[in-house]
Amino acid sequence: MIFRKDDIIVNTISRILIPFIQLYALYVIMHGHYSPGGGFQGGVILGASMVLLLLTRGYDEAKYKFPEQIATLFSSVGVLIYAGIGLLCLFVLGNFLDYGKLAALLNVTPSHARSLGILGVEIGVGFAVMSVMYSIFLDISTGGVLPEDEEE
Amino acid sequence: MNGFLLTVGLILCFLVLLVLYRVVFGPGVFNRIAAISAVGTKTLIILLIMGYLYNRVEMFVDISMVYALLNFIGCIAAAKYLEMGKE
Repeated sequence: MIFRKDDIIVNTISRILIPFIQLYALYVIMHGHYSPGGGFQGGVILGASMVLLLLTRGYDEAKYKFPEQIATLFSSVGVLIYAGIGLLCLFVLGNFLDYGKLAALLNVTPSHARSLGILGVEIGVGFAVMSVMYSIFLDISTGGVLPEDEEE
Repeated sequence: MNGFLLTVGLILCFLVLLVLYRVVFGPGVFNRIAAISAVGTKTLIILLIMGYLYNRVEMFVDISMVYALLNFIGCIAAAKYLEMGKE
């Protein structure tokens, strides 16, 4: 179990750094077609920012900011976004994850629709990877037993 | 310029090997953590030099930033682990 320590250097640096890490993760997800990166890498950086929050602020505050139930929900929502876009392509008579066919729905050119479809899938992957990373770290750091479980 | 950068990169690779000795055989945990942190910093510079050699700095800057960030978080995690072990 990780508790908060009144370490002024680590607390201040992490408070300044965490928003910029998250901004950088969003850049990696959004800019994935042109530079190295994409959904998985951006999700890992987002998860790393959450892990940094948990390491420096302790379990109690991290639970308040990003509860484990929300993490579980987000991992399912990420997979739902991924599979939902894939199935949407099936419904407009294309193959699974055939984004070009989404052009009729989105009312844009096929190449533009392909770009948007890949972006949507990457956002889904980023969601899933972020919350799975965070919940794995939470489970390992608490030894699988949360304080609420012990009280009951 | 490329020859100079290549020489610097090769020297840094050799230095990484020297520090790796400290990681494997270094007495105690603190030596190992400091050595791993040094390896991370050197890898970052080697990545940037590779970016200059391939003429694609803008790509390698992204990778090296992620590397620096994960190195920082790993350092804090190791320090936290040591702090909790004392209690």
